[in-house]
Amino acid sequence: MKRRLFIASSIAAALGGCAPIGTALNDNPGFHHFLGLEGSLDAALLGNTAGLARQYSLADISKHFPVDSLPTPTSTRYEAFLENGFRSYTLAVAGAVERPMQISLARLERMRQQTQITRHDCVEGWSAIGAWTGVPLREVLRLAGPRRDARYVVFRCMDRDDQGTPYYESLDMAQAYHPQTILALQLNGRPIQPDHGAPVRLRVPTQLGYKSAKWVAEIQIVGSFEHLYGGKGGYWEDQGYEWYAGI
Amino acid sequence: MRYSSIVQRLVYRYALLTRLAHWFGAIAVAVLISSGLQIFNAAPYLDAADRSTPTRRVLSIDSPADGVGQTTLFGHTFTTTGFLGWGSDGVGGATARAFPGWLTIPAYQDLADGRRWHFFFAWVASLAWLVWLISSAVKGNLAQMVLRPSDLPKLWPMQAYYLRLRREPPPHGTYNPLQKAAYTFVLLVLAPLIVLTGLALSPGIDAIAHPLTVLFGGRQFARLWHFLAMLLFVGFAIVHIVQVATQGFFNHMRSMISGWYRLREHESVGP
Repeated sequence: MKRRLFIASSIAAALGGCAPIGTALNDNPGFHHFLGLEGSLDAALLGNTAGLARQYSLADISKHFPVDSLPTPTSTRYEAFLENGFRSYTLAVAGAVERPMQISLARLERMRQQTQITRHDCVEGWSAIGAWTGVPLREVLRLAGPRRDARYVVFRCMDRDDQGTPYYESLDMAQAYHPQTILALQLNGRPIQPDHGAPVRLRVPTQLGYKSAKWVAEIQIVGSFEHLYGGKGGYWEDQGYEWYAGI
Repeated sequence: MRYSSIVQRLVYRYALLTRLAHWFGAIAVAVLISSGLQIFNAAPYLDAADRSTPTRRVLSIDSPADGVGQTTLFGHTFTTTGFLGWGSDGVGGATARAFPGWLTIPAYQDLADGRRWHFFFAWVASLAWLVWLISSAVKGNLAQMVLRPSDLPKLWPMQAYYLRLRREPPPHGTYNPLQKAAYTFVLLVLAPLIVLTGLALSPGIDAIAHPLTVLFGGRQFARLWHFLAMLLFVGFAIVHIVQVATQGFFNHMRSMISGWYRLREHESVGP
């Protein structure tokens, strides 16, 4: 009996110890950082692959496209945009570019539009399919002319969390020039609704949804994003999510 | 050559790399299951479709009201308060949560950290599997382990022995026929399947390998297969641990730590 008790208790201890040991290691900064190496490895292997997100047909479009982000902006600036139908909205392109500029919504609408019916994969696990129409980001970048020291494109957004921290995201130049990376103006054939990021929302269908920043106000081309907010290149990245969100 | 007549003979059964692969793999699988449940908690439902489709929901775990947990499987709802839907929050209280804190890594709800653990140990498990496959193929252990057609007639007699319907197991080599069936299925079918269904969840992988995601029926469907494969892994782990505990615990533990296994009656070396 003693032998059986010993065997049973060693197995129970080994299994029951998993969650507490894991949690203790998770709270250790050194180990936590070590675990994060997987993100760098995945980014190195997949971060700049040229594959295209799968395109769907009109019949595949989700009837309901979830809204699962920071709240829709309620600033006086955004309220004013809603009042005038975004006629006063301009997209700022700044930073390491030859020609910093302000692009009106009307001008964005006159640029070459691209429609792609792609799946939006949320980091939480859900997926929805939508038809996104907009301007390829590379067309906007060509207008502004990134300088030689340009390495990342940062998207500054109008939404804020309950602490007042603004949303932002970033892509490296290869991801920004990916043919399916677009500044979307329409969802399913209609101007993007406020809850979905009106008037301009980034769409990066080769990565998880948090990369597809809503309510984009400014595109800032930088050599490094270390000096911005938490330094990890995005709102969710600053809270521990991977910068390369292809996994 | 058969040694079945020689009882109580020590044989060197597991090469060092095989033993290392086993223990790294065992730790990795435990971490992958508990961090996977942590990830599942962020969207606690499974749909048999490409995109999220509530009308094709196979499983959902939720909390309809404070203090109540419920699980819906194929449209049938069960109250699972205290375990699924409402349970330990991992920091001393209770909360609305699909899988409870004592089953997840980390114990508290944190999707970002759950992903970190999951993807790190996915690399560990995959490398351990590869090391095992190569080392056991080179050392000949793989050939002894793979289920062959000639083993099929021995499956029932072996099961009858475990059910005590038969006094002696059928004569067999290094592994008995049921062990061969279990190891062949888990290591050569289930392990690759769980990695592939996991990869199919990633938009970056989908972009470079559409056929993989299509093969499993899309992203949400792949999530369902990934979860089912996990349940099969859990089933295997339970049987495996019970077998080790009851069929000579110290002999099996020694063999997987030092490599040396004491052969018992009816056992021999070979395929």
